[in-house]
Amino acid sequence: MAVSDTRRVLPVVRDESALPYEHPLYRSLLGVPGLSVATAVLDQLLEWGARNSLWVFPMATSCCGIELMSAAASRVDLDRMGTIVRATPRQADVMVIAGTITTKMAPRVKALWDQMPEPKWAVAMGSCAISGDFYRNLYPVVPGIDTILPVDVYIPGCPPNPEALMHGLLRLQEKIKARTGAPAPRDPVLAAAQLAAAIAVSSNDRSDEPVGEEQELLVQAPDEVPFTEIASDYDTILREQFAVGEFPADGAPIIPAARHHELARTLRASGYRQLVYIVATHCKAKALGKTSPERYEVAYGLRSLGKGSNVASWRVQLEPGASVPSLVGLFAGADFQEREQFDLVGVRFDGHPDLRRIMLADDYEGHPLHKDFPADAPCAPWR
Amino acid sequence: MSGLVHGAQYAVMIVSSLLAVIAIGIWFERKFAGRMQSRLGPTIVGPVGLLQPLADVVKLLQKEDIVPKDADRALFDLAPLLAVLFSLGAAAVVPFSPTAVAADLDIGVLFILAIGALMVIPTFAAGWASNNKFALLGGMRAVAQSVSYAVPLVLVVMVPVILSGSMRVSEIVTFQSEHHWFAVWPIIPGLPAFALFFIAMLAESNRIPFDIPEAESELVAGITTEYTGAKFVLFYMAEYVHTLVGSAVGAALFLGGWDGPFKPGLHWMVLKTLLLFTAVYWVRWTLLRFRSDQLMDLCWKRLVPIAVGLVFLAAAWVQFVPGAR
Amino acid sequence: MTEGLQSARRGAIDPHLSIRHYDADADLMLLHFGPQHPSTHGVFRMDLYLDGEVIVKATPFLGYLHRGVEKLCEKLTYVQQTPVVDKNDYVSPMINEQALNMAFEKLLKLEVPRRARWLRTLLAELQRLASHLLWLGTFTLDLGGALGGGSTLFLHCFRERELILDLFEELTGSRFHYNTHTIGGNRHDLPAGLAAKVEVALAAIAARLGEYEDLSLGHAIFQARTKGVGTLDSDLALELGITGPILRASGVDHDLRRDAPYHAYDELTVNVATEHAGDCFARASVRFAEMRESIRLCRAVLEGLPEGPIAASKAVRLPTAVKIASGQVYVGIEGPRGEIGTFVIAGGDTPTTPYRLKIRAPSMHALAAIPYVMPGATLSDAVAILGSLDPIMGEVDR
Ligand code: SF4
Repeated sequence: MAVSDTRRVLPVVRDESALPYEHPLYRSLLGVPGLSVATAVLDQLLEWGARNSLWVFPMATSCCGIELMSAAASRVDLDRMGTIVRATPRQADVMVIAGTITTKMAPRVKALWDQMPEPKWAVAMGSCAISGDFYRNLYPVVPGIDTILPVDVYIPGCPPNPEALMHGLLRLQEKIKARTGAPAPRDPVLAAAQLAAAIAVSSNDRSDEPVGEEQELLVQAPDEVPFTEIASDYDTILREQFAVGEFPADGAPIIPAARHHELARTLRASGYRQLVYIVATHCKAKALGKTSPERYEVAYGLRSLGKGSNVASWRVQLEPGASVPSLVGLFAGADFQEREQFDLVGVRFDGHPDLRRIMLADDYEGHPLHKDFPADAPCAPWR
Repeated sequence: MSGLVHGAQYAVMIVSSLLAVIAIGIWFERKFAGRMQSRLGPTIVGPVGLLQPLADVVKLLQKEDIVPKDADRALFDLAPLLAVLFSLGAAAVVPFSPTAVAADLDIGVLFILAIGALMVIPTFAAGWASNNKFALLGGMRAVAQSVSYAVPLVLVVMVPVILSGSMRVSEIVTFQSEHHWFAVWPIIPGLPAFALFFIAMLAESNRIPFDIPEAESELVAGITTEYTGAKFVLFYMAEYVHTLVGSAVGAALFLGGWDGPFKPGLHWMVLKTLLLFTAVYWVRWTLLRFRSDQLMDLCWKRLVPIAVGLVFLAAAWVQFVPGAR
Repeated sequence: MTEGLQSARRGAIDPHLSIRHYDADADLMLLHFGPQHPSTHGVFRMDLYLDGEVIVKATPFLGYLHRGVEKLCEKLTYVQQTPVVDKNDYVSPMINEQALNMAFEKLLKLEVPRRARWLRTLLAELQRLASHLLWLGTFTLDLGGALGGGSTLFLHCFRERELILDLFEELTGSRFHYNTHTIGGNRHDLPAGLAAKVEVALAAIAARLGEYEDLSLGHAIFQARTKGVGTLDSDLALELGITGPILRASGVDHDLRRDAPYHAYDELTVNVATEHAGDCFARASVRFAEMRESIRLCRAVLEGLPEGPIAASKAVRLPTAVKIASGQVYVGIEGPRGEIGTFVIAGGDTPTTPYRLKIRAPSMHALAAIPYVMPGATLSDAVAILGSLDPIMGEVDR
């Protein structure tokens, strides 16, 4: 708090623009007997009304939203203090931001906030809304909703209990009563100092070295049993139709990109009807890149149904820039999965009818799960 | 001249008491809903939360008035006013006691139906003027619904008219106090007609299970999506007034109005109205919502044929039962 | 591209057709349903092309809650992951944790003690019950509105869900994000007396479930709103990779608890409920049957809960205590919404963090059904269909 102390001793500069506005009739009206009492009473009444009827606009994006619902539910019952939930921002007084706000969602939150009529308040519920929680340093998350709109009450927790939300609303009532209004805009100097302090603290984080004699669990070279169990029917298909003799110890069998569509079709015909996963990986690490310095690997898993259900999985390895045949024609569910892998990893799928970004905004640049993408990426334009 | 003064006196009286009743009605509904949902409802603002509706209104009145860009300004402003006006209008001819009636028109029943049918105008105007797709969808749903449900409503209202032989509401009530309440006797056109009236009234005042114009899980807030502050208060009030007046009409036409087992008078009418009002909210907080096509189905395939049958039955009763009139 | 189009339904609807293809000069209304809408269960957006109130085409848009979980997991060590995945499917954190830790255990070839497996079964079934209760509440909220009968059932379901959350709170100290599973076992053993409380809560829920069934499945309006709405045939459901109750409601008898048993399910019998209609009503009745089954399973677990340790080795607490040299596994388990899975590639430059981690989100596959089931339905149906698919955006977008 040293910063604010130095501020207090700064010389006071008389700034005309900072003076409260005074209506020309103000002085003469002051003389009217009883008027000040009447306006004071009216003021009190208005403030009482505003305080006791806080209608909430639930900006509920994720987990905290569920606790917001719990708060409206029977056990806590926000209706006791006259708080009801309105689905339209036009009739709400308090926006409760409950949940993570992503860069894709933030403009919508701002628009909704702007649609709310004055006087209005904002409550940041949960660490995500306050600071971005542990997603704070990740590419898609807004580090705190107060970077885009003025927050009146912060309710910490992950998620805060429903009781905490109610407490937060009671604090908001106190605030309205005290008529402090919205907080002053952040002092840039103070904010910079706080940020510097925060960075200093976080860079002093504990090291990754194990402390004490806690037992370490380490799995070394997995040569005895492969991780991927291969069911006998899948084994037959692989050996007889695809001439795969050797199964790698560290994962699923590797299939050439040219034959992978055929394998998927064969498997589907022989009972593996459920698409379980499509995972693309950008392999760059030393430990993984024994064969080539940089490549992509796309792993597929199909599940058989009914008793003894198992997953048939395989991998396709790609040089950078190469693409893999799409499975959309075989499995409609591959549509979203392939788009996601394209979006996040940057692998292209041949023959996908609509290969667009799915998670990130269309104009986003880069592929976050690409290993060259920094782990602590700034989330523009907030940082 | 004296009639005018009398009318004005009672109009003011009825409107102001209606508004007071509505404030309490809103509180009552929230408490009632709370109890149905195993919670408490308002408790903090005022004794047992009684001042909650007042706080809501005070709050809403001081909110910023937003008119959306590209909205039809004149219509947008006019719609909430018209809504309140039309919803209050029907109260003019409802006799709360032999004397407490603002205008005892000899075509009272017709007037009620006409005013009730007018309600669709502000609703659609609001939906249209808001320049919001959800509001527009809500407005269109409201038109379809009101126009359809007006048919069974008109038909079942004919039952008390035929049975009593008058269109003047006070005469219908007097007839019932001299004979029986229509919901009780003749039980066959009477009770089903009352039930149909209740259903049609729910639909006309957009209450669950017929609240598809508002349908906040589908249309956010339907026609009121874009309304803020004072204008929203008017809509909010109109909604309650509409329900309350509808209940009063039902009480007068089917439940014998001010008549009661002892000491007939205003209090009986108020009691019956409030009971019907409660029933509306009981239904509201219990049932789910119909889909719009199912709503039409119900209206045209079930309610209308039954209502036609009831009208014939009523006519037959009057014609063939000795001493029916 | 034609081979996949065998299923009649899929042949009729191609989600990638441009809207112009439908009717070049039709006067269609484009309605942006979401990302902030009372019935989208979070931040999900559909673009609906409406002809009057009938949906001609629906396009889902995801990613409004994309938080970069998989990137975060690459940064965190194996032990640190559990609290992160809690937040994915935030309605069933327990099952997320299990899917994650089971994958790591498989990489480590670690045997989980029997009591821990039984305990995990209990937690999974309680969580499934809580999750389905929340689904029932939100589904009726969609059908009946926040200012109507829907909210009444919603609040009652929440009341019952609180009973389960109380149990979890007593067990783990948290109402919501538990972080109770760890690699090789669990952190928290049942405290004394909790088993009895579980019995009490189960009895209360079992007693009231019939009432809720009357108010929903048994109710004429509920039936009118859900029967024949959003029909998904089994072929299409399989093609989309849909799992869990939605798949079972389409007539596919498939449940990982029975078909590929994990935890203690091989020692218990799991009755799998299936329906054939594939509509919203079928999905609702499957979920009701699953709630009953979960209650039964919970009781069975409490009866047979073995004694013993709840973690394989000394509890893993240090972030860097687990190192995995290499390997690649996938583990999928049956969550309330379908197969929740974890795919891990271990190794890379640091042995303490996974090289790549992907979470299989059943809701994402369920949402893929939207372009196929929405056309022809009305706007009101859209809400019902979305509710019956029960998506949790946290796990869809991750
Ligand atoms: S603060 Fe925690 S509970 Fe709330 S949204 Fe963020 S991760 Fe979820």
